[in-house]
Order: sequence, then structure tokens, then C-alpha cells
Amino acid sequence: MKKSIKEGFKATFRRELKRMTGRPIYIFSSVFVMFFCYIFFLTFMKEGLPESLPAGIVDLDQSYVSRTFIRNMDASPHMKIVARYTSFNEARSDMQKGKIYAFMIIPKGFYSDVLSYRRPEVTFYVNDGYLIAGSLLLKDMTYLSALGNGYMQKKVLEAKGFSEWQIMGNIQPIAVDAHLIANPWANYQIYLLNVLLPGVLQIMVLMLTIFSLGMELKERTSRNWLRTANNSMFAAITGKLLPYTILFTILGIGGNFILYKYMHFPMHGSFGWMCVATFIYVLAHQAIGILFIGTVPILRDGISLAALYGLLGFSFAGFTFPIEGMPRNIQIFSEVFPIRHYFKIYINQALNGMDVKYSLIYFAAMLAFLLLPLLVYYRLKKAALYLNYPAK
Amino acid sequence: MQRKSFLRKITDTVRTIISLALEEYRVIFHDSGVFIIFIAATLIYPLLYGYIYKNELLRNVPVAVVDNSNSQRSRNFIRQLNATPEINIVATYANVDEAKQAFQRHTIHGIVYISKDFDDKINQHEQATVSIYSDMSSFLYYRSMMIACNYTALKIGKNIQIERANAEGVVGEQAEINVQPIQYEENIFYNPGTGFASFLMPALLILMIHQTLFFGIGMLAGTAREENKFHLLVPQDNMHSSLYKVILGKTLCYFTLYMVVSAYILGFAPRLFNLPHIGNPNDLILFVIPFLFATIFFSMTISVFVKNRETGLVTFLFFSVILLFLSGFSWPRSNISPFWLAFSWVFPAVHGIQGYIKINTMGAGIHQLNLEVVSLWGQAGFYFITTLIVYRLQIRNSKSRAQAEQEEQDNFTNDIITE
Repeated sequence: MKKSIKEGFKATFRRELKRMTGRPIYIFSSVFVMFFCYIFFLTFMKEGLPESLPAGIVDLDQSYVSRTFIRNMDASPHMKIVARYTSFNEARSDMQKGKIYAFMIIPKGFYSDVLSYRRPEVTFYVNDGYLIAGSLLLKDMTYLSALGNGYMQKKVLEAKGFSEWQIMGNIQPIAVDAHLIANPWANYQIYLLNVLLPGVLQIMVLMLTIFSLGMELKERTSRNWLRTANNSMFAAITGKLLPYTILFTILGIGGNFILYKYMHFPMHGSFGWMCVATFIYVLAHQAIGILFIGTVPILRDGISLAALYGLLGFSFAGFTFPIEGMPRNIQIFSEVFPIRHYFKIYINQALNGMDVKYSLIYFAAMLAFLLLPLLVYYRLKKAALYLNYPAK
Repeated sequence: MQRKSFLRKITDTVRTIISLALEEYRVIFHDSGVFIIFIAATLIYPLLYGYIYKNELLRNVPVAVVDNSNSQRSRNFIRQLNATPEINIVATYANVDEAKQAFQRHTIHGIVYISKDFDDKINQHEQATVSIYSDMSSFLYYRSMMIACNYTALKIGKNIQIERANAEGVVGEQAEINVQPIQYEENIFYNPGTGFASFLMPALLILMIHQTLFFGIGMLAGTAREENKFHLLVPQDNMHSSLYKVILGKTLCYFTLYMVVSAYILGFAPRLFNLPHIGNPNDLILFVIPFLFATIFFSMTISVFVKNRETGLVTFLFFSVILLFLSGFSWPRSNISPFWLAFSWVFPAVHGIQGYIKINTMGAGIHQLNLEVVSLWGQAGFYFITTLIVYRLQIRNSKSRAQAEQEEQDNFTNDIITE
């Protein structure tokens, strides 16, 4: 009996290799898609943080001081003055068109008001409809405003004979010194790619698992499939899915190599454990794929379900919008997404460099998904044997 | 006489197109797979995502404090920090190491460290420093931390400056002027609460329309191909003049269906979840029309490459993520490399998202959207032509395949008969 399972497993494995190479979709949906995404995301956000975002200026003063101000604006890291306007309406219209993400109005009589202590008001307008561009520009402009005031105060203090460090202490009594743990540049590439790429990986694993199993049922080849596996469902499933386990693990760990070795993204913990996590991550999604196609043995419904689930994974990883910010009654659902646990392992390993014992619970959670196929084991076998469901 | 027959011709054509559209409706409502994508998904997705992100902001991020100064000033700083909506001080630790352990257990997302000389430095008119350590696993933690700490430091710093001016005998408005010779006013437009949903949802909503159309049309084409019915779409005798009728018939069906779907997704959902919706409805309609045509013809063109009902979703689902980034709603379009920028012109979703954000979120009028509207109409025209071409090829292939099968069948029966 044991031997027949082993033989069946080997035969199924060989059969699957043939099927895999027989249609382009298998290689396309694994190798091509992952390579495309690696290239896309690595070249797309090359800068790490957007630089030289287009901004505008409405200079109604046209004085020496207002021009200094504008020069400072242009020199700040995230901003580039691309247009000058004569009125608020013109500038606002260009902001609506998306040509600029922010603009500043320097009022008429700005310089003379400063000199005569009338406290002129400079106004910033920032478009936070584009949250990332808006936030960066607001940060720059806030910094500039402090700089502008500081510049004025500095002149006064220098005249009074204060020393350099006392001038700083007077202009800005309390400074905030920010330490950005493991991503000191606030680099978007580092922030996003570590989750986006595993996110794409889970979609492809889910899709191909369901597709490869579902096609047997749809094309009515499932009896042949079971026969090849000596009628052992266990051998049939494992033999069939092993090629994909190998393929996706290589692609996933290849991704780890690209991120942590080639791009030198932060990896303060163990690269080895991260790769183990990737392997279990692939297995967990194969298990979920079996659950889906076992629950609804109709290929198209299985795929639609997995599509919904796979896309929700990006939200429930909780990396762009943290889980605790979501409504309480759906927070619990994040637990049923392996990507959530994978994300936690990534935080512990790559960002915080912690001992693996702190991550064992997340490894265990991902391994727990491997029990899911047991729920549909007999249902799937029945479906494969009796073909008792609609084909379309 | 001549004129009447011409009129007759037009009414006949319109009648054919409408009947073809109705036929397509019948197909959609009898195919549960397509029905799920066109109706169920478009109904559920906006509600689901609207609900997930309905809180808009992350509030009260748990943070720990290490106060080595332990002075009145440092305690005041901590008190004011705790009063900000962004963060919530949940623990005080004796040293940074202890705080780090809490950080590693994920119970806090940041540490505020006030050094021993904090108070002395302020007294000596030197610059005092507050160090913060921020969790970078999500940028919203970092953002909350930075906003709260900077705000508190500036506020207390200004009070200190005014105290000093007062001590020098400068009081009242003059003290304020000395501290802040220039006033600044920030105006955050279009998303004044800097909400996450207000930023993300408009892009997602357009993407839902684009992707459900794409996958639904793909599934319909995959079915036709599986059943090898493609050639039956067009009457055999008069293919040239009928082909465009078939395409227009299908288009009419998808278009009318998706005008309703769009009203729900783009009009109703933003109001339900109180997302930005300051656009003029007429402008929105004028914009959605070319967007739908471009998306429909784009999907029909690509759909002939779909072999099976399901292959579209299997291979291209991941592309939803790519499209979201190509649209430039997060990573700004001004900073996308020329290659990917050019690539993005292939997909109606890209200008669809940009245009929708501009109208709906920023209140731009249709006349301000020349780029988007012109390129969407351009895409609609271009993909209509490509649809014509690929459908013709497809039908020819399908017909010859059917003929070959038929001949085989005939030969087979002939063989039997002769035997």
C-alpha cells in the first residue's frame, strides 16, 4: 500500500510536469508574472521617495525677500517650482488639473510689512487628494515657514550679539530628532515592496493551485488523475502540487535575494528564517487553494472566490492602513490571511532584527493553514471520482 | 423613395443592434460566472472596501515614553503630547532598553525619549532635543508620531520664546511678532482631513469598473471560444457589414449596464461612505462615457486572446495592483519614469482614475480635463478598430475550425455509409 502511494505520487508528479509545460498559462502565471512584478516595482519607485514634486507660486510682492523665499522653496528636497501665477484662481485651476500639487501665495507688500512689524501672512495650499505628494509638500512647507521665521529672528539675535548655539536655542527651543527604525530614509520602495511582492506571489499561488486542480474537474480528466496516483487522493494532490511548490518557492526566495541581497533592503535578522517563512507562505496558500476548489468544485467559482480573497490580502496585511484603524468587528479577519502573519515575521526579522523565538507564533499560524485541506479531502475526492457538479 | 429606403436601412440596423444587445443581456443573466463579476462583484466591492477603510484615520497610536529629565517642563511636554489625537501614551519606562522590549512585543509603535539635560538646556537658551523612535512597518505610524511630536515641540517652543520675551520686558503682540514675524496659514485642499479612504477609494472605485468589465468580457469571450461558437456571432453570408453591428450590439449592452453600475459605484458609494464627492454630476457623466467605451473596446480586443472562461482572472488578476500604481494616485505621475509612463497609456484605467479624482475629489470641470477626455476618446476609437480587426480574424479561425470539424464528421459518416 505504502509503495503504491509512493509510486502514485511520482507518477502524478511526472504527469503534472507534462501538463505544466503543455500550456503556456502555467509558466506565464508564475515565472513571467513574478519577473514582471520584480522588474516593474524595482524600476517604478527607483527614487525611493518622490523628489522635485511640481509646485507653483503666486508672488504678489515681487520683492527681494519674496524671491529669496521662492529660491528656498525650490531648493527644498521634494519641491520644484514649475509655474508662476498671477492669481489664486489660476493656481487653483492648475492644481485641479493635477499640474501642481501645491502652491504658495506671498501677499502684496510682504517685504514692507515684515520690516514694519505688521506680520504679513503667507498662505500654503496643498492638494491632499494625492496624499503622498500632499504630505511631502506640506512637510517641506512647514519646514520652510520655520526657516523663514528663523531667518528673521536670526538677524535680530545676531545684532544683539548672541552666539550661534544660543541662536538655535532661541529660534527653536525644542527640536525633534526622529529615528526611523530600519528605514531611516522613509523609503517607499522598502516600505511597499516587502509586502506588495509577497502579495502578488500569494495571488499567483492561489490562482494556479485552483486552476490546476479545477481543470482536472472541468475537463473531466480527474479520474485519469486519480488513477495515475494509484487512487490515493493524498498522492494525487501532493504529486500534482509539488511542482508548483518548488516553482513558487524558488520565485519567492529569489525575490528575497533581490530585495535583501541585491537591493540591500534592511535585513536586521536572519535571512534564512525569512526564506523559511516564504516557503511556508507558499504552502499555506496552496492549502487555501485546495480549500476553495474543494468547497466549490467549479473552477470558475473557485477562481472568483480566490480573486476576492487574494485582493483582500493586500488590505488585511495591514501595512498601508494598520489593522487597528479598521472597524473592530472586521479586525479579526486579518488572522485568516497568511500574508498578515508573513508581514509580522518580516517586521520581526527584517526591520527589528529580533530573535526567531518572537516569531514562532506566526510561523505556527501559517502552518495551521496546512490543516485546511483535510476539511475538503473527501468532498474533493468524491468530486474527482463522480464528477457530480455542473461543468460550466 | 430613395430616402425612405435609406431611413428603413437605418431603422433596421438600429433594430438589429438592439436585438443583439438584448441577446447579450440574456447571455449575461444566464451565465452565473459572468453575473457574479458584472453584478455581484460591482455591488459588493465598494461596500466592502468602503467599510474596511471607513475610519479614514489612524488615531491614538500607542507610544511609550522614557523621561530622563523628569522635570516640570518634560512632564508638560508629555502631557501635551498625550493630548494630541494622533498618539496615546500607554507606558512610561525607566530606560530605552525596556521600551525597546515593549516595541518588539508590538505593544507600542514608537518611543519618545527625553534626555536628562532637557530642562537645563532650555534654561540656558540652548536647543533641547526630544528623540523619537518610530515603527516604520506602516508609514501611518510614523506620520502620526511626527505630526504629534512636531506640533507639540513647536507649540511649547513658542511658549518658551514668549516667556523669554516677557522676561525681557517685551509683552503682548510685540512678543508674538518677535517670535513669529511672518504668519503662515496652511490650507489642505480636497482631502482636508488627510483621510486614507478619501485618498484610496476614488482610485479603487474606478479600478473596480475597469477590472470587472475586463474580466467579465474576457469570460464571455472565453466561453464563446470554448464552445467554438464565435463564428455564429455573425451571419455567414454577409460578414463584412454585420461585424460592426455585432460589436455595437455587445457594446450597447455593456455600456447601458455599466452606466447603471457606474452611477452606483461612482455616485452612490462616495456619498454612502462620505468620501469626497464635490464633482459636477454632468461633468462626471461626460467623463464616464468615454471611459466606459474605451474600457469596453479595450476589453473586447484583449478578450480574443482568452482561451478559457477562467484564464483571464488567473493570469491578469495581479495586474489590478500594477494598474493602481500606474495611475499615479499614490506615487505621483510626475515621478514615474518615461518608460512606465508611456506603458500606462495602454490602459483606460489610468486616465480614468486621474480624471475621476480630478472631477470627483478636486471639483475640476470637464473643460479642465482635456488630457484625460481626449486620450480616453482616442483609446475608445483605437480599440474599436482593433476590436474590428481581431474579431474578424477570430471569426475566420473559428469558422475554418468548425468547417474542418464538420468535414471530419462528414468523412466519418461517409466512411460508415460506404462500409
